[in-house]
Amino acid sequence: MNPMELLPEKISELVHELSVLPYNDMHFEGVPGPLVLTNYVVWMIVAVIVMSIMFMSVANKEKQRMALAAKSGKVADLAPANKFVAMIEMGVEFIRDMAVDVIGQKDGAKYTALLGTVFFMLLISNLIGLIPGAKSIGGTMGGTVALALIVWVVFVGVGIKKNGGYGYLRSLVPAGVREMPLFGRILLGGFLFLLEFVSTFLVRPLTLSVRLFANMYAGHIILGVFSSFVMVFMPFFEKQLSFSVGGGLVGIVALAFLLIMYAFELFVAFIQAYVFTMLTAVYIQSSVHASEH
Amino acid sequence: MEQEGLIAIGKGIAYGLAAIGPGLGIGIVGGKAVEAMARQPEMAGKLQTTMILAIAFTEALALLGFVLTFLM
Repeated sequence: MNPMELLPEKISELVHELSVLPYNDMHFEGVPGPLVLTNYVVWMIVAVIVMSIMFMSVANKEKQRMALAAKSGKVADLAPANKFVAMIEMGVEFIRDMAVDVIGQKDGAKYTALLGTVFFMLLISNLIGLIPGAKSIGGTMGGTVALALIVWVVFVGVGIKKNGGYGYLRSLVPAGVREMPLFGRILLGGFLFLLEFVSTFLVRPLTLSVRLFANMYAGHIILGVFSSFVMVFMPFFEKQLSFSVGGGLVGIVALAFLLIMYAFELFVAFIQAYVFTMLTAVYIQSSVHASEH
Repeated sequence: MEQEGLIAIGKGIAYGLAAIGPGLGIGIVGGKAVEAMARQPEMAGKLQTTMILAIAFTEALALLGFVLTFLM
């Protein structure tokens, strides 16, 4: 019962539990690697179902209510039906305000759907991941790289659609450099182009995915490690020896710290969803306004 | 035997060094944000949002070091 011997195996058990495993250790014959039902995929499906139910159950009623209010012209018909609908409305308004603030008045509202999907997907998935035993999308590099790639395709696609392929690449170099005499243009422009190319096309999706993955994975590991501490040190209370109260006290301190870290993880879940969405909006803005660089 | 000890020391040094920069960075950003909020209290909401955004960026670097020590 020496705690120093129990801890390493509990921690290696924790790291094993947090990796991508086939669900319930079921083994699938003949199914190629990427299609295996893993524990992360199961919880991702749960998060998607929760999000769809939340939003689709509200969408139809809202459309009917808007049509009714437009016909009758009474202001009282515009009020939301109940508090849940009002909460979802506040959420969508928050996303639309962020889109219009960051991307600009003209075409900010077009991107509300994408930003809203990214934000609510991440938020709901991170909150579900806080249930003991459940996993969130950001828990492995797979989920975060998928979201980051989608965002990357969108902002490169928007840039190419607005400025043309060659125009988008040209806008990576600032306008003042483009008008320098030939030698300066090649030297400085070439260097700047390389820098901006790597920064836009390689570094941005990488940092988006790694930031989300590191935050979620580190949070889960901290929670798991302090839970292991509690599991190892609390049984000291059951022994009827006088010096085993010290071991029990360590368990109680670990429990208090675990509760504080749990509250902090709740905060981090919101913040990471918000930062991902805000960065998406900023990247889309820099693509839409690329011709003004 | 000594390989495992060296690996553990390496992990400790890696995370320790990785935490210096973001610690300083977050301190600077937080200090400037508080100073700005004291100068102009009506902008406190926008300043708080921007501060949290900046903290999330720098914290990612420290957390990357933390995660890498667990992965190896």
